[in-house]
Amino acid sequence: MRQISSWVLPVVLALAGSAGAQQVDVIEHRLDNGLTLLLVPRPGDPNVAAGWVAKVGSVYERPGITGVAHLFEHMMFKGTQTIGTRDIEQDLQIIEQLDALRAEIQAAEVELDRRYQLGEIDDPADPAVRSPRHQELLDEFETLLARQSDLLIKEDFSRIYTAEGGSGMNAGTSYDFTIYFINVPANKLELWFWMESDRLANPVFREFYAERSVVHEERRLRTDSTPIGKFREQFEAMFWQSSPYGWPVIGWPSDLEGITRDEALGFFDTYYAPNNLAAALVGDFDPDAAIELAERYFGRLDRGARPPLQPRTREMPQLAEKRMVAYADTNPQVVVRYHSVRDGHVDEPALVVLGQLLSGRTGRLYRSLVEEQEVATSASGGQAGFQFEGMFELRGTARQGRTPEEVEQAIYAELEKLKTEPVGERELQKVKNQNAADTFRGLRSNFGLMMQLLIREGNRGWEHINTDPALYDAVTAADVMRVANTYFTPETRAVAVYYRDESTETEEDPLLAGLSDDERQQVRQVRAMLGQMPEEQLNQFLAQAEQMVGQVPPENRDMAEALVALVRQRIEELGGER
Amino acid sequence: MTGARRFAVWCWMGALLAGLAVPAAVAQPIPLHPRDLVFEELSFDPPDPAAHRHELSNGAVVFLVPDRALPLVSVSVIVRTGAYLEPAGKAGLAALTGSQMRAGGAGALGPAEFDDEAAFLAAELSSRIGDTSGRAGLNCLTKDLDASLDLLFDMLRRPRFDQDRLDLAKSQVLQQMERRNDSTQSIEVREWGRLLRGSGHFTTTPSTRASIDAITRDDLLAFHREYYHPGNFIFAVSGDVEPADFLARLEARLADWPAREPVSTPVPAPDHEIRPGVYVVDKDDVNQGRVVIGHLGAMRDNPDRYALMVMNDILGGGGFAARLLTRIRSDEGLAYSAYSSYGFGTYFPGAFRVSFQSRSETVARAAAIVLEEIERIRSEPVTEAELRTSKASFVETFSRNFSSAASTAGLFANDEYTGRDPAYLVAYRDRISSVSGDDVLRVAREYLDPERLVMLVVGDRSTIEAGDPDNPDVTLAELAAGEVAGIPLPDPFTMEYPSSP
Repeated sequence: MRQISSWVLPVVLALAGSAGAQQVDVIEHRLDNGLTLLLVPRPGDPNVAAGWVAKVGSVYERPGITGVAHLFEHMMFKGTQTIGTRDIEQDLQIIEQLDALRAEIQAAEVELDRRYQLGEIDDPADPAVRSPRHQELLDEFETLLARQSDLLIKEDFSRIYTAEGGSGMNAGTSYDFTIYFINVPANKLELWFWMESDRLANPVFREFYAERSVVHEERRLRTDSTPIGKFREQFEAMFWQSSPYGWPVIGWPSDLEGITRDEALGFFDTYYAPNNLAAALVGDFDPDAAIELAERYFGRLDRGARPPLQPRTREMPQLAEKRMVAYADTNPQVVVRYHSVRDGHVDEPALVVLGQLLSGRTGRLYRSLVEEQEVATSASGGQAGFQFEGMFELRGTARQGRTPEEVEQAIYAELEKLKTEPVGERELQKVKNQNAADTFRGLRSNFGLMMQLLIREGNRGWEHINTDPALYDAVTAADVMRVANTYFTPETRAVAVYYRDESTETEEDPLLAGLSDDERQQVRQVRAMLGQMPEEQLNQFLAQAEQMVGQVPPENRDMAEALVALVRQRIEELGGER
Repeated sequence: MTGARRFAVWCWMGALLAGLAVPAAVAQPIPLHPRDLVFEELSFDPPDPAAHRHELSNGAVVFLVPDRALPLVSVSVIVRTGAYLEPAGKAGLAALTGSQMRAGGAGALGPAEFDDEAAFLAAELSSRIGDTSGRAGLNCLTKDLDASLDLLFDMLRRPRFDQDRLDLAKSQVLQQMERRNDSTQSIEVREWGRLLRGSGHFTTTPSTRASIDAITRDDLLAFHREYYHPGNFIFAVSGDVEPADFLARLEARLADWPAREPVSTPVPAPDHEIRPGVYVVDKDDVNQGRVVIGHLGAMRDNPDRYALMVMNDILGGGGFAARLLTRIRSDEGLAYSAYSSYGFGTYFPGAFRVSFQSRSETVARAAAIVLEEIERIRSEPVTEAELRTSKASFVETFSRNFSSAASTAGLFANDEYTGRDPAYLVAYRDRISSVSGDDVLRVAREYLDPERLVMLVVGDRSTIEAGDPDNPDVTLAELAAGEVAGIPLPDPFTMEYPSSP
C-alpha cells in the first residue's frame, strides 16, 4: 500500500498551540511473505540510510539462553553460504565437527564447574584441573579451527560494504527488538538489498564459539568494569519480579558460556522470518526502483512456518517497596522507580509529559532540588514504556554533605505536589512547545528518521510517529494529576541508594574505626535506613539503641556504640535542617 | 479495535497490489556474488566554501548554507578563546566562563527568567569553552527567529554571571572532580595525556579544588570581556534562512558592537621528553584491562597525510575489516573493540594510538598481537585488496562530510577558524586515490617506531601480570623487556601523586 506525496514541507507552518502539524510521508509496501518496507525518499545528500528491524529482543528469551538475541545479532555478521568462505562444503563439514567437539568440551566444563561449586577445586579455568581427555578435546578443537581459518575470508561481509562506501554498519539489540543498519551511497542501494537478503536467506553461523568470547568481553566492558554497571544489573533483576525485563539484554554469564549454535539457529528460524521483519530506507532513491529491488531480493525469503511466539510471562503486581543499598565507585545518588504502563497505553502521553515537567534545566526537579534546596547536583525523571511493561524512573545525585536519602525525600515531595496541585498553563505549554519543535528536530537526519521508523515499527507500528504528537499535545493538567495519583504509590516502587565505596572511609570516619568489614557493612546499612526515618521515629530508635548498648556482649560493644552515635548524628542533622 | 480493522483492510489492499505486481516481477536474476553487481556512476562535487562565505561590515565571517526543508534555523559561533589562555592558578576558568554564559542569566533577564524564556520558545541555546576554542549555539523554530537571536546575542554580549549559579556550578565541578579515579576510561585519558605531553602542558593541567576555589565572578567577567567581541567570531548558519535577510539580522545585532583585533596568542606545544616503556595503573576492582599503545603522530599539513590515513585504516582504523579487529576480536575473541588512530594535530602533533579492552588474563596476549601487527605493516606490503578497499572507502564516504547543511557550514567555519586552505576538499579524493602500496609501506616504516612505543595499562595489575594460563609464554613483563612502571592514582582534588605506588 502506498501513499505518495511530497516530503518537503511548506516553509511557513502555523505551530502555535498545535504539535500535530508535522507529518512524515512514508511509502509503505508489504511483500507477499509479510515483510514490511518503509520508504522515505529525500533527494539531496547522495546517500541512503538503510536498516531493518527484527521484532525480537531479550524478552523473547527464556532462562538458560538469556543473551541469545544479542549473541545472534553478532552472528549475523559472520557471513553466508557465499560470503566469508572459500569452500562452503568443507566449511560446513568443519562447523559440524566443531559443534560435536564443543558438546563434549561443554560436558567436561559442566563437570569442572560442579566440582568448583562443591569446593573441590579452586579455579575451573586452571589447565591443571582438566582431565587428559578434556585437554585432548581442546587441542583437537584448536586444530580444527586452524584448518577452518584457511577456508575463511575474515570479515568478508563488512569488507564488501566498506569497499563500496558503506559506512556506520552496525546493529543493536534491545529488550524488544533488534535493528541492523548502515549508510550506503545512493548508487549502491542494490548492494544493500543483495547483502541483507543474503544473510537472511543463507546465513552460516561460523566462528560461533569465538564470537561468544567477544560477547563476554562486551559484557565485561559494559557491565563488569564500569563503576555501577554491576549494581544496575542487580537493580533491574530486583525491580522486575517475574517479567523477562529482569534479565540483562547481554545475558547472564553462565548462559553465555553455554548457549549452543543449535539454540541460536532455532531462534533464527522463529524470529527472523520475513513476516517478523520490517525494513526502512531514508535518503536519495527512487521509490519504485526500491520496491522492485525489495520484491526481487527480499521476496525470495520464505514466510515463517509458525507465527513468532510472544513472551507470555507478565510482571506480578508489586505489593511492597523494594530497596537496594550499594557501595560503589560513584557519587552518592538515588534511583526511584515505579511500575507504570507499557508503550502505547492511554496513560503514557500524560506520564511522558509529567516526566518532561520534572526534567531539564527548567524542570521541577532541577529547580527545586538543585537550585532551591541545594540538596542535589542533578535530578531528572521520565517514563520508559517497553513493548510489554513500563516504568517511571527518577534519579538524583546528592550534593556534597547531603545524603541520597534526603534527595529521595525531596523527590517524593515533588511527586506529592503533582498529585495535589494542577500544573500551571504556561509550564504545560512550555513542554508542548518543546515537543512540537522536537518533531521537526527528529527529522533532521536521514539516519535518525530511519531509526525512529524502525524503533516504532519494532514496538507498536511506524505510523505512531504521526499520531503520537497530537496525543501529547492533548494532555491536560488534570491528566497529569490523575496519572501522578495512579502510579506513584509507595508499594509499587523500588529504590536504589548508592554510597561512595571508599577505602579511605576508615581514616575519615572515626565511627568505623576498629570495626570489622562485616560490622562496617551493618553500620552502613543502618545509616541508610536512618536516612529514611522521620525525626520522631529516630528518637524512639535512639532510646532503644541506648538501652541496647548496655546489654550487648563486650565484643560487640564498639559496633553498638557506633550505631548510637549514628542515630544521634542523624537527629542533629535533621535539627540543623530546620 | 480500530487498529485491528485497519490492519484487515490493509492486508486486503496489500494482497490486491501484490497480485498486480506479479507480472512486473519477471525481473532480472539475482547475481551470484555482489562483485557481479553493476552500479551507475555517482558524481558528487563538494560545495564550494567561497560560495557560502560572507563578511559582515565589522569583519566577522559568516558561512551560510540554507536548507528550507524544515522550519528550523541553526546558528553556531566559533570564538577565538580557550583554556590555553587561562591565567596561572585558575585552571577551570575557561570552562566555567563558557557554561555560565548560558546558565547565569543575560541582558535584562536573570538566570531563571532567561532559562524560562529559552525553554518556552523551545530554543536550544548552548555555550562552552574548550581547550582551543569557544562555541555558542542556537537552534530554533523559524517563527521565533528574532526572539531567539536576541537571546543568543544577550548571552554572547551581556552575560550576567549570577553568583548563585556560579556557586552551584563550582560545587558541581568539585563533585565531578571526585569521580576522577572512578572509571578506567577517565584514568586512561588522563595518564595517556601525561605520558605523551608531560604534566606541564595546558592539556594536562587539570583544575583542582584550589584552582576552582580561586575563581571569582570577576574572573569570569574579565575572561569574557577579553575574548567575546565580533573580531573573534566566526558564524556557521544553516537551515530555513534566506541569506540576505539573515545577514541583515546579524548586521543589526552587531552594528554597535565594536570588533577588536582577533586573539593572536599561539597555542603552546608540549615540551616533554617521552619515555617509552610499559606503565600500569592498578585498579583491582575491574575484570578487564584497558590498554593504549602508541607514540606521537603528525601535524595536519604533513605531506604524507593521505598515505598515513590509508596505512592506519588498514592497520586498525577501518572497523571490522581492519587487521587489528580481525585478529584480536574475530580470530581470538580477546576484545570487543580494538582500533588504531593516527592523529594529525592542528597546533602540535597528534598521537598514533592503538586501544583495546580485554579480560585481565589476556591483556598481554592481545598487546603482543598489536606489536606483531605494527611490525608486520612495517615489514611487508599490504595486499592489493586491502589497499583497494581502504581507498574506496575513503573516496566513497567523502560526501558524508556534507550530509546536512549544518555539517557543511560547520566544516567550513572550522577550517576558517584553524586557517586551513579549503583547496584540500577538492583534491581529497584524488590524493587518496593516488596512494600506492609502496607509499603505505614507506610511511609505516617512517612514522611507526616500535622503539618509541609507550604502553599504558589500566586494570587489575596482579591478574594482568599473571597472564593467561593457557598461553603462559606471553606476559606483560616480557613485552616490557624490563621494568613495568607503576603509576599511582592521584588525589582527585589536589592532583598530587603519591611518591611511590
